[in-house]
Order: sequence, then structure tokens, then C-alpha cells
Amino acid sequence: MQKAERLLDLAAFLLRSAEPVAWREIQEQFPGEYGGSDGAAIRKFERDKAELLELGIPVRWEAGDDDLPAGYLIERDEFYLPDLELAPEDLALLYLAGSAALAHGTFPYAKDLAHALNKLSFAARAAGTSESAGLAAHQLSQGDQRERANAAPVPGMAGILEELSGAVAAKKRVHLSYEGADRGQRTERDVDPYGLYQATGAWFLVGHCHLRRDLRTFHLGRIARLEVNRTAPRSPDFAVPKDFALRELATREPWEYAVHPPVRCTARLEPPASYEARASFGPRAALRDEEGAVVVEVEATNAEALVRHVLSMGDRAVILAPADLRARARDVLAHLSRSCA
Amino acid sequence: MSGGKRRPPAPKPGPPNTARRRKSPGAVTGPPNAPATEQAGGAKGDARDRLRRVLFLVPYAVRHPGIAVKDLAAKCGISEKELLDDLDFLLCVGCPPFAPDDFLDLYVEGDRVHVALHQSFSRPPRFTESEAAALAAAAQALGGDGTSRALAALRESVPRDRRPSFDELVGRIYAGSPAAPRSVLGRLQRAIAEHREVRLRYYSETRGAEGDRTVQPWTLAQRLGHWYLYGFDLSRARPLPFRLDRIRSCELGEEHFTPPTPEHLAKERLFSDAQGEPVRLRLGPRAAAWALSRPGVKLMEREEDGSAVVEMAAAGEDWATRFALSLGGEAEVVAPPSARRHFAEAVRRALARYDG
Repeated sequence: MQKAERLLDLAAFLLRSAEPVAWREIQEQFPGEYGGSDGAAIRKFERDKAELLELGIPVRWEAGDDDLPAGYLIERDEFYLPDLELAPEDLALLYLAGSAALAHGTFPYAKDLAHALNKLSFAARAAGTSESAGLAAHQLSQGDQRERANAAPVPGMAGILEELSGAVAAKKRVHLSYEGADRGQRTERDVDPYGLYQATGAWFLVGHCHLRRDLRTFHLGRIARLEVNRTAPRSPDFAVPKDFALRELATREPWEYAVHPPVRCTARLEPPASYEARASFGPRAALRDEEGAVVVEVEATNAEALVRHVLSMGDRAVILAPADLRARARDVLAHLSRSCA
Repeated sequence: MSGGKRRPPAPKPGPPNTARRRKSPGAVTGPPNAPATEQAGGAKGDARDRLRRVLFLVPYAVRHPGIAVKDLAAKCGISEKELLDDLDFLLCVGCPPFAPDDFLDLYVEGDRVHVALHQSFSRPPRFTESEAAALAAAAQALGGDGTSRALAALRESVPRDRRPSFDELVGRIYAGSPAAPRSVLGRLQRAIAEHREVRLRYYSETRGAEGDRTVQPWTLAQRLGHWYLYGFDLSRARPLPFRLDRIRSCELGEEHFTPPTPEHLAKERLFSDAQGEPVRLRLGPRAAAWALSRPGVKLMEREEDGSAVVEMAAAGEDWATRFALSLGGEAEVVAPPSARRHFAEAVRRALARYDG
């Protein structure tokens, strides 16, 4: 009997039983499956139990008492997906967010997300409205055929993200062939994958890099090859440090990446400075109004990114200080100006 | 008693039969086996995928009696052939003592799927921690007043033993920061769920000014890194996208509307008209490697040193100029001529700020 069939038979059997089922009884009912030597049979049963739990089906062992025999059971309340009892707007949030994420094509646990969206219709009364808004969100987020072809992410990206998602959840070490920022610098490294984040439309892996012996961030688009440690899939290879704070790393502004020691930098936004322009420097920037203009002060540990951000605003912003940064911005513009002439 | 499982025979091909397919167990001896069920053995992933699928498929078919084969297959993300294989496989699933009524019984009649016996698989199992965490990560990135309520509900729907793993996993995926204040998102989600009009204070970039809009909110969508509200703008009398990060405030109106049918919505596109000619940029090697990993960037030419010419559809001259400038001197807009002039002019004016 193949495994899928055995697992479902076992689940159906335990679900139907009104009381815990003794191990002997399970062996008797599945002689071809859990017969043979006791040790091997129990190990097989334990593996099956673990797989069922991974599918969302908890098999519990009950010690038994005066009224009930000892044995295994699946409690219906613990098995069936419950009603989430969410207000319509909260259900809409889940449908819209999940559908758009799935349409994006690259999202961690994309397969799980598709299953979750399907199952969601059982977890809510009158899910119809949100479900159809979700379908529309999926459709509109995808665009038409031509747009989809143009917007196709790097080939293999979805696969890499799926593999990494699995490694993050199971805490399995990964081996990366990683392209450095400068072309031609490919490095091989082992990484303990702590987490995944998305910023400016791209996915990043954060983890402990065994090559650099430190926490590092990797752009998924630059991972040329990925290998997950396949040995002992249910035993973690590492523990994530208690103080690991993914959100803080993920919400850094590009000029806050750790590249050099901190430098105070100022820029001026020419009037009228829009809400967008002011907000674009993030929550840690100090802003003050000065004769209609806005002076922005930030602490940069990757000043080049600040130069680029200010440049992208065209003539609506200039770097004021430090002087070398101002000169760098001016040089870029002078170079482009010559090239455009 | 032997307790051994006797498999029912493979379903008979041929015209649909109103009779139950399963034969009495007495008729089944020897080694019969449905070939389809053996094929699916294969890699571990296949068996797992099938299990997860059928644990949804059976209750879904129970809830939608007589659902078309085509629709059920689409819902499960598989082909009709694969669905029929799954149904064959399910005929062999049951529980001891494996009497005729102890098996699952799903059958196809006139291209429709019916369930005679579901063997307690009448609802799907709870969310696995990664299913719930994926949904939670997506919800956190969209945001809204309901985020924490939704997360708490997702947590409750994971088996108790797996909740600590769920908590941990939620802290290890971050899919982005919400594009608009919580209250704006919360009201939009409510308006979409309740089919209520909204009044928006909206910043239009093309006008460079804020204005008031009354909109029937149909849904939200995410394209190329931005979230949009998509709905019917009453003053402009047509459906339009509104970028969430440009909605300054949102008020729920009293008017209810009838949303378009799913069939109608399926024909809508977020951006209705062609966005003008695609813009071409020439990129240095490092900028090229970075830009090409973004959605919406298409490679046109590549030089040996890694530099490249790329095309960006639906970009617009202004956006393309800002994008090129953000690459710190490693990019310039090259075509079409109007976009090239726009870029050159922006460079000249910005340089004047430094020299003036």
C-alpha cells in the first residue's frame, strides 16, 4: 500500500473511533503496514504521525484512565479547521492580501499560501464577497499575458524562494553560490537561514554566514545556486538567536545598511516639498523647515545610497553636507550631463 | 479476523453509471490495483502534495454537490486528468474493517463529481503553520485595523502543538510595510466587504495636487511593487486604479453599490490604456544586474562587460528619469527621443542646483 493511502486510512480510522485506539489494535487493523517487528513498526507509525501533523492533522496519545483505554486518537475539534469568526473586513484583508501575494509569483511558501486560500472558504461564514474580491485582486495583480511576460521575475526565483522557505521553517543549513555586487566575484558559503524579507520589490535572505562568521543579508536575485541540507529533515541544524529582529533589518533605509561608520548627512528639499518627498527619508530622519525649503538630516552608514535617493528627486533636492558627498552627487550629474550633450 | 484491507477494483471505464462503483468486497481478491494509484507513488513530494490536495478536495466536493470536474480541477490547481486520478486513488481509501461502506466514495456522473461517503473528511484539516504563516505575512504586508485580529484567528486555527512554530515563523518572514495608514486600509477593507462607497482625499501625481474622489471600491491589487485600490470613480464615470500610498484619508459613505460580477471583473485590467511607448535605458554592469532582477524590466541588448540596454513598459518619462538617476550615474534614458530629452533636461536642472 502506498504511503498516501496508508496515511489517509489511518486518519479516517482514528477520526472515526470514539475512544483512543490501542497500539495493538492499530497493528491488527493494519497488519500489512505496522506488522513485523515491534520496534520497526512503531518507528514507521511515529513517522506517519509526524507527517500527519505536518498536514495539519494532530494524532495524540492518551494515557488512559478508569474510563478510557490508553491509545491514539484524533480529536475532531483538533482536526477540523475551525470557523475563524472574523468580521467581513478582516476576512477581506486575508483574501485580498493572500490573493495579491500569490499573483505576484514569488512569495515564501507560495504553495502553502494557495492551500490556505482554498481552505479559507471553510473557515468563514459567507466568505463569498471577500472570496470574489480576492479573485479579482489575483487577476488584476497579475496583469494580462503580455504584461506578465514582461514582468516575469528572474527564472528560478520562485523555486529558490520555495526551497529557502522550507529551510527557514525547518531550520536547515543552506549552501549558496552567491554573486557579489561586483560581477565576477562568486563566493561559496554556508548560511543558517534565519528569515526572509521583501523590500523595494525584491526578496532577501538574512542569516548567519559561516564564511563571514556574522549576520549577512543576501539578495535572492544574486543566488546562483542553492542547496539545502537534506539530512535529518526533522532535526534543526541551528537555533535562531533570541535577539534576531527581522523587522528592524527589513525596514532599514538603504543608507542605513552597514557599510561604513555612521556619518551625519544633510539634504535640502526645494519648495514646495511634497508629503511624499518628506516621507521618503523614513521615520528616523530629522526634518526642519527653513525658508520654505525642508532640511533633512539623517545618519548614514551607506552614504552612496543617500546620494542616489537624493539624485532620484531631480532638481527638487540637493545634498548639502558632508562636502565630499555633495561633490559626489555633483560629479554624477556632470558626468550624465556630458553624456547627454 | 484477519483485519486485512481488501481493495476495491479499479473503476470501470465507459459511460457514466448511476450505480455506485464500488463492488462488494467479496468480489475483490487477489492483487488488483488501480494503475493510476501506483504512478502517483514517486517522490515524497508528490505523495504529500496529493494528500494535501485530497484533504481539501473531498470536503470541497461535499460542500458543492455535483460540482463540475473542470471546476473542481481548477479549484485544486490540477488538470482534469489529474483530478480523475485523484478520485481513483480515493476509491482505495477507507478505514478498518474495510467493509464496503468503510471506503471513501466519490464518483463522477455526467462530468459532475458527487460524494456518497466522505468518511469524516467533511471539513479540511487545520492550517499547517506554514499555511497560516504565509497568510499572516501577506496580511501584515497589506496591513489594516484587522491585522492583529486576523493573526490571532490564524494562530487559533493551527493545531495546538504547532502554535509555537507558527509564532516563530511569523517573526521570520517580512513581506513589506503597509502602503497606507492602518485606518485607511481598515476602512477600505470594510467598504469592499460591505459594498459601500468611499470618499477619498487623493493625491494625484499628474496634477501634483490633492482632490476629493467618490469611489465604489471593488478590490485591491498589487502591481510592480505598489498597492492599488481598484474601483469605479463616480465623478469620472469609469473604473480607475488609486495608489494606496497616495490616499490621504478615507471616509465610509452610506451608499451601497452592487459590485460587478466575477465574470465582469475577470475582464478588467488595472491599467486600461497603453502606457505609451516603452522607455529604454542603458545601464552599466552593476546597475544592469540589479535592475534585471526587478519585475517589469526586459533585457534588449547585453554587452560583454555586463552593461545592457533594457526596456521598461508602462514606465512613463518622469518615472524612468527618476529610476535612471537613482542608479548613481550608471544609467541613462536613451529612447524614445522625448524621454531622452526629459532625462537630459532633468540632469541639467539638477546640476544647476549644485552650481547655482
